[in-house]
Amino acid sequence: MIKGKDLRPRDLGIMGGQLTELTVADLKPLPAPFDKPEMEPGFKAPKDSWNEKFNSDLDGFIAIDTFERPKTKEEEDELVQKFLRGVEKMLSLDTNAGILQALNLSMEYCAKCNTCSNACHIFEASNGNEMYRPTYRAEVLRMIVKKYFDKNGKLIPGGKNDIVVKFIGGDIDLNWQTVARLGELSYRCNLCRRCAQTCPLALDNGLIAREIRKIFSQEMGYAPIPLHEKGTQLQLKTGSSTGMSKVPFLDTVEFLDEDATDLFGEGVTEYKTPMDVEGADILLIHNAGEFNAWPENPMAFTMLFQEAGLSWTLSSEICGYDNVNYGLWYDDAQCKKVAMKQNEVAKKLGVKRIMIAECGHAHKAAAIAADRYYPGSDRVPVQSFLPLMRDLVLNGTFALDPNRNDFPVVLHDPCNYVRQMGIVKPQRDILKAIMKPGHYGNMGLPYYEMKEHGVNNYCCGGGSGFAIMNSMSFPAWRDNVAHRKKLSQILEAFGPELMENTDVPKYICAPCSNCKGAMRDIIEHYELERFNVHYGGLVELIVNAMTKYSTPFMEFLRDE
Amino acid sequence: MILTLFCWVALIAFIGFSVKKFMYYSNMPQHGRQDLYPIPLESDEKFKYGGSYMEEDNWHAKERHHNLKRELIDMFEEMLFIKKLFIHQNKFWWLSYSLHLGMYAAIAWSVLLVLGAFIPAGNIIATIVYLLTTVAGLVAGVLITIGGIGLLCKRLFVKEYKIYTTPQEIFNLVALTSVGLTGLLTWYTTGMSFEYGYNMVRAMFTFSPMAEVFGGAVPTMLVVHILLLGFISFYIPLSKMSHYVGKFFTFHKVIWDNEPNMPGSKVEQNILNAANKPKDPNALKWAAPHWNEAPAPAANEEK
Repeated sequence: MIKGKDLRPRDLGIMGGQLTELTVADLKPLPAPFDKPEMEPGFKAPKDSWNEKFNSDLDGFIAIDTFERPKTKEEEDELVQKFLRGVEKMLSLDTNAGILQALNLSMEYCAKCNTCSNACHIFEASNGNEMYRPTYRAEVLRMIVKKYFDKNGKLIPGGKNDIVVKFIGGDIDLNWQTVARLGELSYRCNLCRRCAQTCPLALDNGLIAREIRKIFSQEMGYAPIPLHEKGTQLQLKTGSSTGMSKVPFLDTVEFLDEDATDLFGEGVTEYKTPMDVEGADILLIHNAGEFNAWPENPMAFTMLFQEAGLSWTLSSEICGYDNVNYGLWYDDAQCKKVAMKQNEVAKKLGVKRIMIAECGHAHKAAAIAADRYYPGSDRVPVQSFLPLMRDLVLNGTFALDPNRNDFPVVLHDPCNYVRQMGIVKPQRDILKAIMKPGHYGNMGLPYYEMKEHGVNNYCCGGGSGFAIMNSMSFPAWRDNVAHRKKLSQILEAFGPELMENTDVPKYICAPCSNCKGAMRDIIEHYELERFNVHYGGLVELIVNAMTKYSTPFMEFLRDE
Repeated sequence: MILTLFCWVALIAFIGFSVKKFMYYSNMPQHGRQDLYPIPLESDEKFKYGGSYMEEDNWHAKERHHNLKRELIDMFEEMLFIKKLFIHQNKFWWLSYSLHLGMYAAIAWSVLLVLGAFIPAGNIIATIVYLLTTVAGLVAGVLITIGGIGLLCKRLFVKEYKIYTTPQEIFNLVALTSVGLTGLLTWYTTGMSFEYGYNMVRAMFTFSPMAEVFGGAVPTMLVVHILLLGFISFYIPLSKMSHYVGKFFTFHKVIWDNEPNMPGSKVEQNILNAANKPKDPNALKWAAPHWNEAPAPAANEEK
C-alpha cells in the first residue's frame, strides 16, 4: 500500500490489492468536544467476504456495489475495452452533446494550480490524501484520453506509446484495476462543485467525476444499487424510489392529515391535503422519503399551504408524488426519464407551476438539469418553495411569535439550490422573521451561520447519493470522511460551551431531504444525541412559531 | 527577408489559430445548464451574495434584467487581475500574475512599438510613447522571467505540483520564460534600448529585410528572440495556453449561462433546431440496456 500523500495519478493502475489505507489518525482533527481521541468512533472494519467478491482495491471501501471482480483475463480485458468505448462516447457529439462543450473545456484547460483542492471538503478531511484531490481523478482520465484517443475523440486501438504521448502526459498503464479504481473514485466526490466555483478558469472537476459515473452506468452497466436498481428504476416502476406506490402513498397522506388535525386542529381545523386537483395553481412535489423518515415535514407544508389559502395539489400519479431524481448523479437517461414523467404529470393536471419542496437535488434536477431537455413551450415552469414561503411569512399571512423558537438553530445550505441555483436569501429572511432575536445566534442574527455559508457553503457530505448509499463498507468512509467538514462546521458554529450544555436543545436546520439524511447519519455516527442535538427542515420552524397552535410543533420541545 | 516574413507568419498564425479555437467552441451545441453562483448577470444586490432570479416567486412570469455592466466589470476583473486565484490561492497568484501581467505588458509594448515606429521623433507624444515603450518592455521581460522561473521551480520542486505536471507543461514554462529572458538580453546587448523593436516593426510594415532596416547584420540575440517569439506565437493557440479563448466559454457559456428555457426564447429555438436535425443511423449509442429501454410498466395502479 502507498501512503495517501505519496500517491501519483499513474499509481491507480498498480496491480494487486488495496492501493492506500485510511485511519482516523490520518484524518483532519475535529474541533471540541471531539478533540479527544476517545470521542471518535472511527472506521468499522469491512468484512473479508465483501472484498473477495467486490472491488475495494482503491481505499478499502466499496461504493459501486454491483461491480464484481473480473474472474478471468478475458473478463479483465473486456472491462477495459468497455470502459474505452464508454470514454469514446463521452467524447462524442452523437452520445454526449448535452455536456460536451463544458466537458471539453474542463478536460483541455486545467492549469493544475490546485486551487480546487483548497475548496474540497473531502480532500481537506483526508488531510491531503492525493487520491481525494479533485484533480487526481480528472488527471487520470486526461491521461487515458491522451493515450487512447486522437484529437477528434476517436479510439485508437492499443493506444499510443510513443515519445509524444509521454511528452503530453499520456503515460499511464490502463488495466482493469485502473478502470475499477477510477469508477470507485468517482464516488469519492459529492459533486458539490465548490471546486469549480473557485477555479480561476471555471473548470469543473465535479462534472468530470459525474462523467466517469456516466461511463460506468450508461456504457458498462454498473451503478450503485441504491441509485439505480432501488433508485431511478424503482421510481419509474412504482412511482417512488422508496418503493411506495399509489395506494400506500394515499394512505400515508390521509394518516398525516388526521395526525395534523388531531394534534393541531384543536377541534376547529381539519387539515386535508388536496390530491390530484386539476387546474390548481401549484403542484407541490415532496421527496417521498419525507413521508417515511420525516413525516412532520410534508405535514407542516399542508398546514402552511392550507392556512395561506393557496390553490395547490399533490399528485398521486407515477413520479408525481416523488420529486427525487437520482439520475442527476450518475445517468442522463434516467434523469431525463424521471424529469419528463414529472412534467407530464403536471401537464396532465393542468397546473400552472411545479413547486419543489425541501429537497435540494430535486430542485436542481427539475429546474436546472431538465430545463433544456425539451422545448420551453412543453415545460411546466418549475420553482422552489422558498420564495413563496418567504413572501407568505413576510407578508403576515401567518400570525407568528418568534419567541416560540427560543433555541439555537444553525442553518445548513444545500449545495444544489444555493450554490447551483442562487436561492440564498429567502431561507434567511424566513429565519430572521421566526427566530427569537437577541438570545442565540451569531453575526448579529437570531440563528447561527456556519463560517462558510451561502454560496460558499460546504456540502453536508451526503450529496450525490452518498446519503442513501448504505451498502457494505461505504457508510464508514462517508461518515468519517465526507461528513467530517460539516460536523466541524456545526461544532464550530455552536461553539464548545453551547455544545456541551446538554440542557439546551440545538437544531440543525437542513432544508433538504438528502442533507437531512446526512445530518441523521452524522448525529448517529458521532452520537450527538448526547449533546441534545436535533435536526430537521425549515417549514417545521415556521409552524412552530405560529401562535395558532398551543402545542409546539417540534417534538423535542413537546418532550420537555 | 526571411525573418520579416517569419514575424508576419507567426503573427497571422497566432490570430488564425486563436480564431479557429474560438470557432471550435462557438460551434459546439448548446449544453445543459451548469449555473454556478454568484453570476454577475444578476442584479448588483443579488450578485453580492450569489442570489438569482429564482429567488422570486413566479419567476417565470416576471421580466428578467441582465446586468451587462456587472458582467463586464467581473469579466475584466478576472481577465486583468485573475481575481479568483487572488482570492482563493493568494500565494500562487503572485507568481501566476507576474507571468500574466508580463504578457499583458508585452502586448502593450507591441502596440506602443507600432505607434512609436511611425510617430516622427522630436515631439512630446513621441517622447511619451518612447518612455512608455521602455517601461512596458522592461516590465514584460522582468515579470515574464520572474513568473516563469518561479512557476517552473514550483512545478519541479514542490511535490503537490510536481506529481501532476507533464513534460509538456515544463516545456511551456521554459518556452515562455525564454522569450522573456531573451527579450531582456536583447535589450541589454543592443545598448539598453528598444530601438531593435522599432526596427522590427518598421521591417514588418515596410516588408523590408530585417538586415536592411538594421543597417547590417541583425544582432544574434535578437534573432534568437525572434525565433522563440515566433515559435511561441504558433504554439500558444495550439496548446492549453490558449486558455484566454477557453476562459470566455467556461465563464460566459458554462457557469454564467443561467438563461431559462422559456417559450419563444433562443434557448428553446436551439433545442428545436437540434431536435430537427436528421438522425444518423450509424451514430454511436450508449450500450447499457436501460439506456434505450422504455420505462418499466407502472405498478402504480394497484387497487
